[in-house]
Amino acid sequence: MAEKLIGKDIAAPDLLAKITGRARYAEDFRVDGMVFCKMLLSPMPHARVRRIDASRALAMEGVIGILTADDVPQVEPHREPVLTNEPVFEGQPVLAVAAVDETTAADAIEKIRVDFEPLPFVLDPLDSLRPGGPDAHTHGNVRVDGEWRRLKWSAADFAEAGDERLPMGEATAEWSLGDVDRGFAEADVIVEETIVHQSLTHHPLEPRTSMAYWQNGKLYAFTSTQSTQRTRGALASALDMDPEDIVFVAEYCGGGFGSKISGSTLMQLPAIFSRKIGRPVMLRITRYDENYIGRARPGFQGWVRMGLRKDGRVTALDLYLVEEGGAYGSGDYGTAGNTAHLMYQPENMRFRAVSPYTNTPPKAAQRGPGGAQIVTMLEPIFDKAARELGMDRVEIRRLNAPGPESTFGPRETPLTSVFAREALERGAELFGWEEKKRLSGTRSGSKLTGVGIGLSPYTAGSRGYDGLMVIRPDGKLYVHQGIGNLGTHSIADTARPAAEVLGLNWDQVEIVWGDSSQGLPRSSVQAGSQTIHAHTRANHAAATDARRKIQEIAARTLGGTPESYTMDGGRVFRRGNPGQGMSFAQVARRAIALGGRYDGHEVPEGIHAETVPSVGRVAGQGLVGVARDDYGGEGAIYSWVAGFALVEVDAETGVVEVKEYTGVADCGTVVHPRSLGAQILGGSIQGMGMAMTQRWVFDPEWGVPFAKRLYTARPPGMLDVPLDLRWDALGIPDPQTPVGAKGIGEPPVGAGAAAITSAVADALGGRCLCRTPLTPDIILAELEGRRTFGRLETHVG
Amino acid sequence: MEILRTAPNPWGQEILVGIGWDLMWLVVISAVLFIVVHVAYMGSRGKAAEDGEVAHGAVHALASDLPEHVKRHSFASRAFHWLMSVTMFGLLITAFVPVMGWQFEWVTLHWIAGVALVVTIVYHIVHSLAFQDFWSMWFSAKDLPQGMEELKHALGAGSGAPPKSGKYPFDHQLYHYAAALVTLAAIVTGVLMMVRVDTPFWTRDPYLLSDRTWGLVYVIHGFAGVSLIGLIAGHVYFAIRPEKRWITWSMIRGWIHRDDYLAHHDPERWVVKR
Amino acid sequence: MAIIRDMIPAFDLFQPASVEDALALLAEHGEDAWVLAGGLDTFDWLKDRIKRPKAVVDLSGVEELTGIRDTGAGIEIGAMTPLSRVVGDPRVRADFALLREAAEHVATPQIRNQGTLGGNLSQDTRCWYYRSGWPCYRAGGNTCYASAPKAMNREHCILGRSRCVAVSPSDTAPALIALGARMVVRRAGSESIHEAQDFFIGPATDIQRMTVLRAGDLLTAVRIPEDWAGARHYYEKVRDRGSWDFALVSVAAAFRMDGDTIGDARIAVNGVAPFPVRLDSVERMVVGHAPDEALATEAGELAVAGARPLRHNDYKVPLMRNLVRRAIRSVA
Repeated sequence: MAEKLIGKDIAAPDLLAKITGRARYAEDFRVDGMVFCKMLLSPMPHARVRRIDASRALAMEGVIGILTADDVPQVEPHREPVLTNEPVFEGQPVLAVAAVDETTAADAIEKIRVDFEPLPFVLDPLDSLRPGGPDAHTHGNVRVDGEWRRLKWSAADFAEAGDERLPMGEATAEWSLGDVDRGFAEADVIVEETIVHQSLTHHPLEPRTSMAYWQNGKLYAFTSTQSTQRTRGALASALDMDPEDIVFVAEYCGGGFGSKISGSTLMQLPAIFSRKIGRPVMLRITRYDENYIGRARPGFQGWVRMGLRKDGRVTALDLYLVEEGGAYGSGDYGTAGNTAHLMYQPENMRFRAVSPYTNTPPKAAQRGPGGAQIVTMLEPIFDKAARELGMDRVEIRRLNAPGPESTFGPRETPLTSVFAREALERGAELFGWEEKKRLSGTRSGSKLTGVGIGLSPYTAGSRGYDGLMVIRPDGKLYVHQGIGNLGTHSIADTARPAAEVLGLNWDQVEIVWGDSSQGLPRSSVQAGSQTIHAHTRANHAAATDARRKIQEIAARTLGGTPESYTMDGGRVFRRGNPGQGMSFAQVARRAIALGGRYDGHEVPEGIHAETVPSVGRVAGQGLVGVARDDYGGEGAIYSWVAGFALVEVDAETGVVEVKEYTGVADCGTVVHPRSLGAQILGGSIQGMGMAMTQRWVFDPEWGVPFAKRLYTARPPGMLDVPLDLRWDALGIPDPQTPVGAKGIGEPPVGAGAAAITSAVADALGGRCLCRTPLTPDIILAELEGRRTFGRLETHVG
Repeated sequence: MEILRTAPNPWGQEILVGIGWDLMWLVVISAVLFIVVHVAYMGSRGKAAEDGEVAHGAVHALASDLPEHVKRHSFASRAFHWLMSVTMFGLLITAFVPVMGWQFEWVTLHWIAGVALVVTIVYHIVHSLAFQDFWSMWFSAKDLPQGMEELKHALGAGSGAPPKSGKYPFDHQLYHYAAALVTLAAIVTGVLMMVRVDTPFWTRDPYLLSDRTWGLVYVIHGFAGVSLIGLIAGHVYFAIRPEKRWITWSMIRGWIHRDDYLAHHDPERWVVKR
Repeated sequence: MAIIRDMIPAFDLFQPASVEDALALLAEHGEDAWVLAGGLDTFDWLKDRIKRPKAVVDLSGVEELTGIRDTGAGIEIGAMTPLSRVVGDPRVRADFALLREAAEHVATPQIRNQGTLGGNLSQDTRCWYYRSGWPCYRAGGNTCYASAPKAMNREHCILGRSRCVAVSPSDTAPALIALGARMVVRRAGSESIHEAQDFFIGPATDIQRMTVLRAGDLLTAVRIPEDWAGARHYYEKVRDRGSWDFALVSVAAAFRMDGDTIGDARIAVNGVAPFPVRLDSVERMVVGHAPDEALATEAGELAVAGARPLRHNDYKVPLMRNLVRRAIRSVA
């Protein structure tokens, strides 16, 4: 391939609109007759609504209507309803009121009397597992094989563990590979720790606002979401309607980090409310609402035992995770177990986990779900083993990292490609590991220096989606993207292979996205860092289809075989005779005249049913390229980031200052360097916040959260980021995909976070506090031998 | 006027948090009004001297063997009374003066005064049960008609010669029981409230009772407190009225004069050892 | 406590153009009035629908409250002067660098542009129990939720508690105490001047106020005398994040050296008590001594004498001790 575009810095086409404010996010839309709604949130962590008296609110001037749990689709108790009469977390929406403006709606909410009956609640999953402990749901505290259970451990389980070690009763998930006892028997060094990882909210800049109205039986829905076409599908399925009856608009998204993968449950609300009152309804989610309904990464209480031979190989890994499941459950623990195995390739491993429901806001994927937490928790413990063995920390990681033949997880999954060792080597070189590691544990004044490493893998691709594009009579290529514009530039970057295949310059390419009425193909969800991989493939396939059709039209028009034609700069011409050819504009007109499969009136076999009507929408606009990604492939697609950090811990204040950070990625071919750098460093910084500052705090007596404003939740700020930030990517293509690119959104989070937890432990002479976030109080209390939070306490602050 | 203060608790449930401070002002103003009106009334009737003063020296034939000083209060009783009054004033001042606007660190002083009050009250109960004529402070249904008559005179509203009482006149008995009831209410609630205060012996815990129950405790404590303002204002006022001073002096000196005994008390009902 | 937040209920807005008019408005509306300076404390309360004033008196149009002027005996800073202007003022930089440093540690550049010196001094505490609208003592209720046995109180006080255990959030307060500043408070018809440390009151005095300001009062200016102009100083603020964060503990100190010994010193600490704490005893102890490590250690220990940590803020004892030590060491 000519590769005029791959690997270049090209600004995304939405940049100007974002900078000038012209970009319309969900809350910027206004339509005639639109009303605003506000929600009444549950004041209790678990309650039952006994009675609602809305008469005073409904009598107010300007109040249009009320929507309660009785008006929304009924779902099973473990699924999140739009509105509920049995809230299972403080802040859960109970009802909504629509009014001519928001202040009226808010005043009306306060006039509604809701009689709540408080029910037992639980914040800490271990409390739910205690004998006689409370259950977060009236049906039980865990779900096993699709059934509710009340899982309680014995008093002996708790007594045996004491206050310092994780109690480990019956697990609900368990797998092992090899024989972990034998592995420990073979080990020369065994390290064991109890760990606590906090829960933290996503805090995207844009809250999950939605607006909706109905016209001629069609639903017009506007929302903030990471994906587009798949969010439309999710909305259709929630409302039990045909996706084709929804005009779905989501052109911009102010961040999601996993919390808006296919929209949110609440995006149904304006649609349902609008249907009830016959007016367009806007639900502007505030920062406060967002805190409750905007999802969170689940926290863990964990226990790990790791055995290593003298040569540095991990012989055994025994891992037990108690996950805080939140109001509607979570599955981060599964990925955490697999990731632990992938990272260290232990010869024997046992994994156990339990994820009780808790009366805390719902959990969801957060950038590297499960993986980021486990890397952050395990890396400093792994360092401890390296220290005991007297081995270099880069070397011991290289030694245990997977290679081309490696597999991971209980199903022994292979990988499409892995260059983790190379990433470590390149990172060590760029960071200056050999020189910096000499600073490890040194003290200057009150400052203790530490260096740390986080090697973090995460999923990075998927296969089998559709590409759809049109060359219109203006001669330009219109790439129809069903993917969402979640702020990563993938909306444009995944179209680059199409331009390359068709020999187009970038200014001859237009991106069509964010509005389902324009005809968008079946796409992946924008999650799991899969987009660059999945959709460079899909667009490559569709462009290849278009290329073939262009060649055919040229051959039909100008004679010769299709193969004898090539193309460049918007013209198709005879190989060796550029004068004999036609412009793409001419090709497009010819395609329309020919009809059939050339202009989309005939749909090829094998494309997804959801793409078929979209092809219908573009049919007749020009030459249509449409195809499914049939490139195939075997094994899981993973990218890696090796993060290196140098920190200074002030022994007199407990403050950690990150002085230097380097992140090096194994993510295949680099499509857009500047954007890639933003992902590697941006993700790493998000990880630093997870390791150092960000948290959620609950009052244990009342079960309500506190750190619910940005200034108390403390995502990292400018001054928490080192000035010396470096990144690089190996640029080794994945052999199984035509463009060679793998995703990068998620792996950096674990790398950034683990580099910090590892570096802080290093600064403290190898002492792993085994708790995040590493706030000054916890570090200082440890150094000064002061009282601090309990070993297993969660939600602290 | 705010009688009870309520607030939404952390779960949004409306709970009692205490009495409205308007009540304090109501009691203070009522007490002042009562005193002013009473002073004026008594003045207009010119009764003060006539009722209270007894010409000393006119030894009654019946009482020729009476000592000149009839012992009314033992030293222990007087010590109790004054100690209790000190703690009571301490409590009222530390409770209400900050509400009235003169702010100072009152909590520690208040609970220390409260503890002192409890000690004096316990002492008083033990002492009165074991060493005093417990029934002298008690009255029964048959005492009521005369009691009402005594009450009228005590307030200066009776006509004719005041009826003669036992050791403790009816108004004193009534007052004692009202004060005892209110003080006990304040003490019981106050002792409970001690778990919500840091002391050298324990760290406070607001969650011993539910917040609804605490609300009731606060309200009872508050009502008892403002009632005590009224009761004590009345008590002090009558104690310093000229016609009552002979009794007031007895709480200092321990005795009343033989003439006062004969003038105000029924020797049948208060038998003095001769 | 959720129900609904983030929507400001209606109120009457008054925008006086002079101090006299502002005072008249405050007198007229009494307890129903709310003084709005930069709005950074105010809007949180209003958005949360917890404090619901009937009349908001916006001072942004009162020009005479803004600016820094030389009084001949020091400087006077108008209460409405933005913190960024305090930071950038040449006279402040030259003579009262301690204040500049403290003001520069407030939140973020945007907040310093919007926030005022008067607002920074008069702001309410950030105790999250109180700010969540719980009926605590400070809110007129009968409970301190933050000091309950299992409460989340790592950010609360170790000194000066009295039923309430919240801390003063101001970054500039300790600096102004160390500089011997005076606060000018006016109300309709009168003016009073308060020593900086007396401007702040603890819950023992009045549990519902952080400062001497009562309804009708207006902090109009801060006067900084020449006494500590050009003195050596030390400021440090320890916080969870590098920006947009209140202090866990902060220290501000001014020193006059007498050869190798400390001739005079004023030291204040914040984040440890419901009011900024002036460390008189430490000042007395260090004066006349050489600021060596032994003195610094002794000063640190004396500073935390009597500290009583809550369940989760034991760390503040060594933190305060160490910051005082550092302040003394800084003039070694």
